[in-house]
Amino acid sequence: MSTPQGQPALPADFNLESGVSEIEGRDGETYLQFTTHMVTFYKQTYGEHSRFFMALRDGRLIGAHCAQCDQVMVPAATWHCPNCNFAEMTEIDLPHRGVLAYTAPITIFPSASFLGDAPFARGYVDVAIDAPIASFLPSRLRTTTGLERPGIFVKGTELKLVFEDERKGSIRDIFWVPMAEVPQGLRDKKPLLASELDFTTPEPPTVHKDEAKVTALEEAIAAMHQLAGDVAKSRRAQADLAGRQHLVGVTTGGGDFSIGVADSRLSIVDGIPDTAEHTLVADDPAIFTRWVHDGSLTDAAVEGTLWLPHKQAFQLLPILDRLPRSTRRDLRDENK
Amino acid sequence: MSKVGIVGAGITDCRGRWIEATYWDLFQQATRRACEDAKVTVDEIDSVVYGIYNDIFEHQAIPESSLTGLIGMANKPGTRVTSGGATGFYAMRTAAMEVASGTSDLVLCVGGEKATDCFDPRSKSATPMVIDTIAKSWDPFYEYPLGATASDSYMQLCMAYDDTYPGDIGDSEVRAKIIEILCHSGNRNPYAQRRDESVTADQVMTSRWIIAPFLRLLEACMYTEGAGAIVFASEDKAREIAERTGQPPVWIRGIGAANESYSPGRGGNYKPLNRIASDRIAAQQAYEAAGVKPSDIKIIEAHDAFVAQLMITMGELDFVPIGQTRRLIDDGIMLDPKDLADDEAPGDGQLLINPSGGLIFGGHFVGGSNMFSAWSCRREMINRQVPLGLVHGTGAINACFGGAIVLELDEGGAR
Repeated sequence: MSTPQGQPALPADFNLESGVSEIEGRDGETYLQFTTHMVTFYKQTYGEHSRFFMALRDGRLIGAHCAQCDQVMVPAATWHCPNCNFAEMTEIDLPHRGVLAYTAPITIFPSASFLGDAPFARGYVDVAIDAPIASFLPSRLRTTTGLERPGIFVKGTELKLVFEDERKGSIRDIFWVPMAEVPQGLRDKKPLLASELDFTTPEPPTVHKDEAKVTALEEAIAAMHQLAGDVAKSRRAQADLAGRQHLVGVTTGGGDFSIGVADSRLSIVDGIPDTAEHTLVADDPAIFTRWVHDGSLTDAAVEGTLWLPHKQAFQLLPILDRLPRSTRRDLRDENK
Repeated sequence: MSKVGIVGAGITDCRGRWIEATYWDLFQQATRRACEDAKVTVDEIDSVVYGIYNDIFEHQAIPESSLTGLIGMANKPGTRVTSGGATGFYAMRTAAMEVASGTSDLVLCVGGEKATDCFDPRSKSATPMVIDTIAKSWDPFYEYPLGATASDSYMQLCMAYDDTYPGDIGDSEVRAKIIEILCHSGNRNPYAQRRDESVTADQVMTSRWIIAPFLRLLEACMYTEGAGAIVFASEDKAREIAERTGQPPVWIRGIGAANESYSPGRGGNYKPLNRIASDRIAAQQAYEAAGVKPSDIKIIEAHDAFVAQLMITMGELDFVPIGQTRRLIDDGIMLDPKDLADDEAPGDGQLLINPSGGLIFGGHFVGGSNMFSAWSCRREMINRQVPLGLVHGTGAINACFGGAIVLELDEGGAR
């Protein structure tokens, strides 16, 4: 959904080949299915919301204020107060700081339009804190400390409003970061721009090597080799990996290895070649054994036991997580 | 309001995907079964109310139009209702009101969904497209562009509740035990989508995160394809049909409904995100209309999109105190159907909650899920000879639509 200005509204790969195909029903009979779509394009007016989005483009956050009940509506969803017989509301400038109204969820499995954005956090920000009645602003929440994860965006967290450097008139033109992560000198700056904060990759954590972890890594590597062998025999697992090419390094407390994906196959490589696209860090190698036994690398990343350098590194994890289940289902079907 | 009774009900098999049938056939299956159950022909039915949640799933902008002739409702009034997850509830409310007003004597209320024909080309799987279709329930200006989904909509509500009432729904072990009971219920429902599954509390607590740190895979409802139908009748017609079928009418004793504001906020009419006020208001209205207290009710079919939300709902419906909904498990209030014979009524201080397996194990074909609940509640009330039951529905963003129906078994009682 963060399509840059001027790019096609629908990504080029968001499409299917047309045709009619056969599919087997639960009754063993053959049925047909046809490929089709229900895409509608819009030149959707912002109408009465235009003022709010034009203000965002100008680096301002505005709300609608009712002089009768003193409520503040942010965003300005209407300019006529529904509580006061639709009395005219007036525009007010709002502060660029707020408080997270409730602990925010972290989305791991996004909808089709947001594949690639996960993990991300959204929450409701209380901006008009002094108003007796106020709506909360639905907001994007970001951290400068790596991936968005549980424990950062909890109820009551003080937040600073940040504007994207290039704004087009969208709710994604803004986001909030914990005030504690904003350098003192920037906390009162209006508007604060994203480029003024450091979102570059934080330093990877250090691992603590010991013998037990070396043994644990040996077990994990053996389990992963077994999984790679099963993938070579599993139609479902190969479909999971189809069209992907990756070489990802992993540093653990028991030593290094790499995970390769190519030609719909999984491979486990000793050490980390220079060609690795990035390196993940896990002090405890046992998370990879658990992954093979139907655990989850995604969970490990979300819980913080698997460190990722950036959001792109997250995208392969849900696919790797499918492999143990896919191979198990195919091997089970084979044994029937 | 004149008396309205349920005289027939029918549901389809609940499946993750029906390759063998389109929604045309699913709606016809449910209608056929409900008519068979009530021993009526479609000719006797005066009008129809359709519950269909989302045009994008059915892939037709007026999906009920293609159903009219196929379910025998040609040349009769037909109304389509769509209200998010509460579509089924609102469709039944509309059907009951049509009978209560004296406009019709016999009304068919049929709802369903064909959800998983959707397909996402990039992940090469259905789920992200299904999630996206439901995510279109959010507005296009502020919420949808942030990537909001149904799961995080319900979870932000549950997390807000947990902020206010810590130690209640936040205890994953309590939630996992509820799942275990719901699984046993699903095992007894011959139409349930997950009737053959065996899920333990331990499996729930180690299943994958959907929304960290509050929702694991095995705590969520399913996407289901299926349909359900309920036949509503006026008092005279209901008694006449009961003579034919030998089944007692189940009367609508009270209905309540409330929709909260879309926007969460502080004060005024904004939605307090840490509660489900719509459930509370709807239930209070229904109890008042019925002249009953929650303690008079022993069988509940509640809309359990997610188990943490079910706990809050049980608090809002006033069966357990808000902030102490874990007492469902701690105090043994929520019965395990394994501990009860199929014709046995729950004892004092006990509740049979979602004996169908609910939306988590039974099925969740959105437009007809609440009909599925009504089908089960009526079935259990008749089989166990329990005088009162409650059907609940919730839906839309942040569970802001709510509805409740108090059902009463005819005094004649026996099958």
